[in-house]
Amino acid sequence: MISFKNVNKWFGDLHVLKDINLEVSHGEVVVVCGPSGSGKSTLIRCINRLEPIQKGELVVDNMNVHDKKINMTKIRAEIGFIFQSFNLYPHMTALGNVTIAPIRVRKMSKEEAEKIAKKALVRVGLGDRINHYPAQLSGGQQQRVAIARGLGMKPKIMLFDEPTSALDPEMINEVLDVMRDLAKEGMTMMVVTHEMGFAREVASRVVFMDDGQIIEVAPPNDFFTNPQSERGKHFLSSILTH
Amino acid sequence: MWSFYFHELMRSLPFFLKGLWMTVAVAGLGLIAATIIGFILGIVRAGRNKILRSIIGVWVDLIRGTPFLVQVFIVFFILPSAGIELEAFPAAVIALSNMGASFICEIVASGILSVPKGQREAATASGLSNYQQLRYIILPQAMRSIIPPLVGQYVLIIKDSSVVSAIGVVDVTRVGWLTVQRIPEGLMVFGLVGILYFAICYPLINLSNYMERRMTVTATRL
Repeated sequence: MISFKNVNKWFGDLHVLKDINLEVSHGEVVVVCGPSGSGKSTLIRCINRLEPIQKGELVVDNMNVHDKKINMTKIRAEIGFIFQSFNLYPHMTALGNVTIAPIRVRKMSKEEAEKIAKKALVRVGLGDRINHYPAQLSGGQQQRVAIARGLGMKPKIMLFDEPTSALDPEMINEVLDVMRDLAKEGMTMMVVTHEMGFAREVASRVVFMDDGQIIEVAPPNDFFTNPQSERGKHFLSSILTH
Repeated sequence: MWSFYFHELMRSLPFFLKGLWMTVAVAGLGLIAATIIGFILGIVRAGRNKILRSIIGVWVDLIRGTPFLVQVFIVFFILPSAGIELEAFPAAVIALSNMGASFICEIVASGILSVPKGQREAATASGLSNYQQLRYIILPQAMRSIIPPLVGQYVLIIKDSSVVSAIGVVDVTRVGWLTVQRIPEGLMVFGLVGILYFAICYPLINLSNYMERRMTVTATRL
């Protein structure tokens, strides 16, 4: 589904992704973790070309993402992206946020889009808030609307860039619950997160990154109980001590 | 004597109102053209094409760095030597639109750039095209920061339109100059001119204040 082949990226002189090779298959849930600055956010932002790459090949659903001639709209329509800071459109209601892309990108009629949007909002537990504006919603609710917004396009892949890092602790679970359900229903997901409990529960693999490289790839239980790399051990000890 | 002049002034009121109408026409047309041109250029100025951004930047700096009176003279007196003959009214509207557009361009560009980057990223990630992003996501949010200074700019355009009296457009300022030759009470005559400008600017100033309050209230209520 997603295939990184020798992907390299620089921000000016800074080499932020070094020889990334990774395959994510259909229905897999891959958690990417690592210290700050390891390149994990950059990694998933390359998948829908929010960030360009300079070397290597990134293939999503048999389409070469960084080919200059490719129609990015088609690729992006199949990828839902959830941001750490939600990035909901403040001038639209929850329903508006979810329907805008299906209407404008998938060219659906308003009625069709609203039907799908309502279902998505109910699925994330916000059926009674469809006409609320983002500012009238809590952080956890906003992030769930963001997930519904991703789902509204019926994507093949959902990418999450630290979805709960900006939330108050009591709201983290409501978002993780939605993500757990998605995983159980077979959605292909790549999640950058520090939520290790979530990773252990639903991830098929954990990708540990440091300093722009993939250091270790292992099933969550293996990685958390018995990390093979020095840096992996160091990272886990630093985050598990509270 | 004063009351005689005052009486004369009141008899000239229709002349002043004709001049006021001319002011409204010049400023009104200038304002509309400036808005259209200013918005288009502002959108380009906030865009990704570095070359176009610099060209527009140079033009904006030129206009903001020269007196409007000089710009009016250039359009009216100097363009004819390049083959472009213009009458006073069209020259006035062109000069006013040009100046207004440069200021509106900057207002629009900063409004667009003030929309958080995350909005553009979310829109891009959903597959919206550049045009769709601008139309449905960016501009609606940018309008919040654009409208108050835009209305303020309209007031400036109306006041700056008084300069076109220098090339013979018979706006309300020019009526003042002509009248003061018959009625040599400068304070009285130009007091009336001032009141007439104030009469058309004041509603706009109020509108701008009201909109500014509404925009900030909605922002803080949330």
